[in-house]
Amino acid sequence: MSCPICAKPGDPAYRPFCSRRCADIDLGRWLKGSYAIPSDDPVEAEDLQNISPEADERKRPH
Amino acid sequence: MAEVARKPAEYGADSIKVLRGLEAVRKRPGMYIGDTDDGSGLHHMVYEVVDNGIDEALAGHATAVTVKIHADNSVSVRDNGRGIPVDLHEEEGVSAAEVIMTQLHAGGKFNNTDDSGNAYKVSGGLHGVGVSVVNALSDWLELRVWRDETEYYARFENGETVEHVREVGPAPGQKGTEVRFMASSKTNREDGTFSNLEYSFKTLETRLRELAFLNSGVRIIIEDERPAEPLVTELFYEGGVREFVKYLDRSKSSIMAEPIYMIGERNGITVEVAMWWNDTYHENVLPFTNNIPQRDGGTHLAGFRGALTRTINLYAQSSGIAKREKIDFTGDDAREGLTCVLSVKVPDPKFSSQTKDKLVSSEVRPAVENLVNEKMAEWFEENPTQARVIVGKIIEAALAREAARKARELTRRKTALDVASLPGKLADCQERDPAKSELFLVEGDSAGGSAKQGRSRANQAVLPLKGKILNVERARFDRMLGSQEIGTLITALGTGIGRDEFDIKKLRYHKIVIMTDADVDGAHIRTLLLTFFFRQMPELIEGGYLYIAQPPLYKVARGKSEVYLKDQAGLEDYLIAMGLEGAVLRLRDGTDIAGNDLARVIEGARQFRRVLDAFPTHYPRAILEQAALAGAFDAGKADADLQMLADSVATRLDMVALEYERGWQGRITQDHGIRLARVLRGVEEVRTLDGAVLRSGEARRLGSVAGQSGGVYRDPSRLMRKDRDQVIHGPTDLLKAILSEGEKGLSLQRYKGLGEMNPEQLWETTLDPEARTLLQVKVEDLAEADDIFTKLMGDVVEPRREFIQQNALNVEHLDF
Repeated sequence: MSCPICAKPGDPAYRPFCSRRCADIDLGRWLKGSYAIPSDDPVEAEDLQNISPEADERKRPH
Repeated sequence: MAEVARKPAEYGADSIKVLRGLEAVRKRPGMYIGDTDDGSGLHHMVYEVVDNGIDEALAGHATAVTVKIHADNSVSVRDNGRGIPVDLHEEEGVSAAEVIMTQLHAGGKFNNTDDSGNAYKVSGGLHGVGVSVVNALSDWLELRVWRDETEYYARFENGETVEHVREVGPAPGQKGTEVRFMASSKTNREDGTFSNLEYSFKTLETRLRELAFLNSGVRIIIEDERPAEPLVTELFYEGGVREFVKYLDRSKSSIMAEPIYMIGERNGITVEVAMWWNDTYHENVLPFTNNIPQRDGGTHLAGFRGALTRTINLYAQSSGIAKREKIDFTGDDAREGLTCVLSVKVPDPKFSSQTKDKLVSSEVRPAVENLVNEKMAEWFEENPTQARVIVGKIIEAALAREAARKARELTRRKTALDVASLPGKLADCQERDPAKSELFLVEGDSAGGSAKQGRSRANQAVLPLKGKILNVERARFDRMLGSQEIGTLITALGTGIGRDEFDIKKLRYHKIVIMTDADVDGAHIRTLLLTFFFRQMPELIEGGYLYIAQPPLYKVARGKSEVYLKDQAGLEDYLIAMGLEGAVLRLRDGTDIAGNDLARVIEGARQFRRVLDAFPTHYPRAILEQAALAGAFDAGKADADLQMLADSVATRLDMVALEYERGWQGRITQDHGIRLARVLRGVEEVRTLDGAVLRSGEARRLGSVAGQSGGVYRDPSRLMRKDRDQVIHGPTDLLKAILSEGEKGLSLQRYKGLGEMNPEQLWETTLDPEARTLLQVKVEDLAEADDIFTKLMGDVVEPRREFIQQNALNVEHLDF
């Protein structure tokens, strides 16, 4: 399959990526928690605690 | 020594000083021309002369410079400029040309600080000491000047004039200067300066090409007469430094179409920059001061770097890219894959050493910084698409660097592995042999609690993972695995992470079981986990260590018996099995169908319903079903006798209708469909199967499934049980009857999440090795998961929401 980061052909040594670089970029995103799947679900009460305060502020009507 | 040339003096006395000056050059040539043994000094001789020609070109008087290596190893450099002045130099009493050739630091370029008018504003040469050094270090040197329609000639030996400048003859239409010299070498005489006269065409070409790039529009021709077939190369670049960077990157692929180019002046310093990024990771920034390269950079490079980092940082912040990727980058990241030529023209540059490897003039830094800041911000504003590409690349560089660092950190932490270093959330097992140990990755804290209580502590470990929700802009909630969760997971597995650090031999459990809820969020977390393992720990999957748990979706109880069912299909299987008990289907001709035969008929009915469900909802299901049983969808039927087909559907509809509700009439419509109508209590009821649906692939499939029923539904039949029976008109009726019978006396519980199961139930259904089913994850499944993941995610930067909405159904039924 093609490299998930840059779409170039993969290299077996770095599967499924094409290079050390792309593998590292991907790892960087995991470790930063940048990967997220959009969800339309209503927010559960306990989940609300995890939302950052700034996000909260954005929701508040002015 | 610079005063020597300026001091008014008598001819004789002054000439002695001059000779002393050149004597010094011969005594310590290294100081003036560079290394005399490794070839660099020898080539410098050529550059020194070429610089004079370039200066003429820069001043607008010359268009071409020709360098020729002669067969006898002498070198000539000719330009088509104004020609060195040959008139008498008042201070020295000899021709100006001779002064230039025999006196150190003589020449027009040293007057650049005043406005005397005859000076070069900025000199490309300034290589040191001028052409007199070349003269001093040559066995002989011949000067030819074409000026005022006349050719002049002078000859020098060992730096001394042997023939004063004299007129050779008229030279109409010619102008310029030619210097031909034979460098002093040990090959010609014992006390020669250079160890040999081996000029490298390649070396000369490289430097002269540089000059051609840096002095856009100047034509430089190199000829080599030493080989049997003389070499000639012409170097001419109108694009200047822009073409220079393209040339440097000629075998790399750039991420942008054209280099960024800027030129301007600040406080008398001209700054010219061309830069573009390629897809490699190497930085190649070449700084020049007055055409001379600085291997060790200096104030111009510092100014450029500062401005570059600042501008890109500003853009990354203001465009929101930096925030989205949660990363700060360094100057090194910004310069990864950057190829840049930075050329400054400074009136009076100062270098840290004779070799000019580093520029130290402090006024250059603010000039470069200021100009690059301004022009680059402008460029970013005017080229937002390319700016995004560049900043994207830089962010990636920062991510990769950060990732490698963090991977090392995480892995090191693990080396001191003991219970204490394990993440607090992990409920580890007692077993220490990985081959016998299992790790359950459980979604959510409540399910994690049940799993911790219900597991077998001996060999089953539980790690609860919380799929965090993240509020990003546009008030949307995204499922993600936080960095904390990923870190905990890596530590628990014990393998480390990253291409250098990951070691599958250190895996602490040989069964890693993903256990998530059977809902959309569960599917999302599972997709995230699978993608993570696939991308960052493929060995885990290749080794067969990764599994997916199959917790039940339903629990049904009838009387005292309890059954767990995995999914909707499993529930239906169960209900049908129950509903089949004691049922007999009696056909009009008296044939009875029961047991396994009836089960097969019902399987056919389920297939029929699946195909029927695929039709758009506005088509009436009952009409479609009866039309299919009447053979209306058989291949070719609709295009044969359409009225006959309409009649047969009407007849079929009458057959399944109650006696007083009959009277269906079939007609052909304009689009070659059929219109079915009947009058019920004075009101006309109309159903239409238009031409398109009649001839659709779905209709064909439905017809084919109906055809496989083997005539079971040709006439109404009766589903009979001990105490009652009911009429069956088609597969839908039959399925409904069986299912509703199956549901009788059942209590049905649907688990919305693992957390709804108590620990015992979780053990019985999902954890107990004797009872559970685990799906082993294969790499092929994962390539697909990654694909789904990629589509779900879209671009990290711009998630593709549309796709997600369209594929909500697929996501729900994701099953790896």
